[in-house]
Amino acid sequence: MEPNHLIVFTCNWHAYRGMEMAGASQLHYDARVLPIRLTCLGRISPGIILKAFEQGALGVLLLGCPSGMCQYESGFAHAEEVVEQARKFLDLLGYAPYRLRLGSVAAEIDQSFAEVVNAFLKDIDLMDVTPNSAAAITAG
Amino acid sequence: MKRNDEIGLFSKPLSFKEKTSDMKSMDAIVQQNQVLYCLTCGKCSSVCPITRWEDQVYTSPRLLVEKAVEGDQDAIFQDPLFWSCLACRQCTQLCPSQVDFCGFIRDLRALARSEGLRGTGTHGDIVQTWAQMMTNENINQSRLGWLQDGHAVSPKSDTIYFSGCLPYYEVLFHDMGVEALSIARAAVSIMNLAGIVPHVMPNERCCGHDQLWQGDLSTFGQLAQRNLALFEASGAKQIVTTCPECAYTLKYDYPRHGIEHGLKIIHMSELLADLVDQDQIAVKARPMGEPVTFQDPCRLARHMGIWEEPRAVLTATGYDLVEMQKNKTQALCCGTSCWTACGRVNKQIQTERLTQAKATGAGMLVTACVKCQIHLKCAQKDRMLQDDIDIEIRDMTTLVAESIGFKDSRGEGEE
Repeated sequence: MEPNHLIVFTCNWHAYRGMEMAGASQLHYDARVLPIRLTCLGRISPGIILKAFEQGALGVLLLGCPSGMCQYESGFAHAEEVVEQARKFLDLLGYAPYRLRLGSVAAEIDQSFAEVVNAFLKDIDLMDVTPNSAAAITAG
Repeated sequence: MKRNDEIGLFSKPLSFKEKTSDMKSMDAIVQQNQVLYCLTCGKCSSVCPITRWEDQVYTSPRLLVEKAVEGDQDAIFQDPLFWSCLACRQCTQLCPSQVDFCGFIRDLRALARSEGLRGTGTHGDIVQTWAQMMTNENINQSRLGWLQDGHAVSPKSDTIYFSGCLPYYEVLFHDMGVEALSIARAAVSIMNLAGIVPHVMPNERCCGHDQLWQGDLSTFGQLAQRNLALFEASGAKQIVTTCPECAYTLKYDYPRHGIEHGLKIIHMSELLADLVDQDQIAVKARPMGEPVTFQDPCRLARHMGIWEEPRAVLTATGYDLVEMQKNKTQALCCGTSCWTACGRVNKQIQTERLTQAKATGAGMLVTACVKCQIHLKCAQKDRMLQDDIDIEIRDMTTLVAESIGFKDSRGEGEE
């Protein structure tokens, strides 16, 4: 993997369909996005998130189904726990918490995916240039 | 029994460069670990905890050695025992012919790794990943959040307290109630009591034990170099660790790979035993004579020859020590090693060990290694066996700290 990519883990349902929707609608999103499809966000583990950073990722974005709509009911909730644990590891290793974010995409809205990834990259770029001025950006 | 350094097992230092750039051939590994001396007596296979649970799948150390003598490299690499060997040293210690099976496995794994093979990692390979992240020169960890008020530490100290991966295990195994940072806090408190103001390094790296035993010499070497630079910059003369694997790696494996730090390496049980000799352990109000049993960590008892010290410490702390059937150098391993290949067989070993502990009638199983604690507590998650294996598992360091009146602030520092 080349460094400075944004790794986007998408679930197979809302998030991945949302990404296809963005493509079908010919919407632009940042070229640094490197999507990886999972069956469900429940597959993620702190080890996988850390591996992305070890390989030089700029950030890691986990995208699942909107609240209460997880295909497997508990997958998104599991991802929330994993993200919380991964943040603690990143903190120990000296990585800023804003580089990891959990979000959701609505498959039926074509803007949804592009908006989420662009907003995340904008926040990361802003924080990287002026780490203190954008302290208001909250992770997640 | 003689210790490794006395029998000269490590008398042949290899430079790290030599090991990575010119990977040893199968022949050299066989020669160096005296594999050809094998008498095919099978003593190794009779004590191997993995072989005992074989189900026509796992083979035995003797058969693995036989394959090596035949020069069948592929057959060795495909053998299930090859990656699941715990390197617990039961076989090596019993071998009448001084075949160093542990060294043979360790060197061969490096060879296998250089050919792109590796064992199955556990916990999503996270331990391996954070170790690789620590090889980065510019990493800036914030790993000292566990120090609590009243702890005296100094960067100018002669003594380093090497906490190892404890801050990371605290996060990874929080749900199992593992004592991880409690051990670190207890260690600093005990050292303060002993009049030592230790240096805790803010950017200390993993010692590289698991990487070495997984065959990842490159990561091991980089971690060792980073740690060496930190040791040299600190000007310290000795290192105290609470993890037997850190102690073993720093003491034997660093010099063997050309990382000459020249520091004295002390495991916490040795330090505590010294304190006991000096009558510095004054036990605060607590019922005495509670029966406990001790799990000897492989790296401490068999690899380093330290088994009397923890026992002396527990007795001096007012516990009634009852031994398991297999103890000291015959102790059964906690069942998993270097975060590789954990499965059915490992679970059986852990359950067997816990059953042995329960059979002593002791109310508590004490160990001196955080990994023993993690693995045995993990086995206790089995609800079907709950009544057979539910025994409280504690760490020696925290137990002693508690006995001398130290109050741990668990959950405040790291939450």
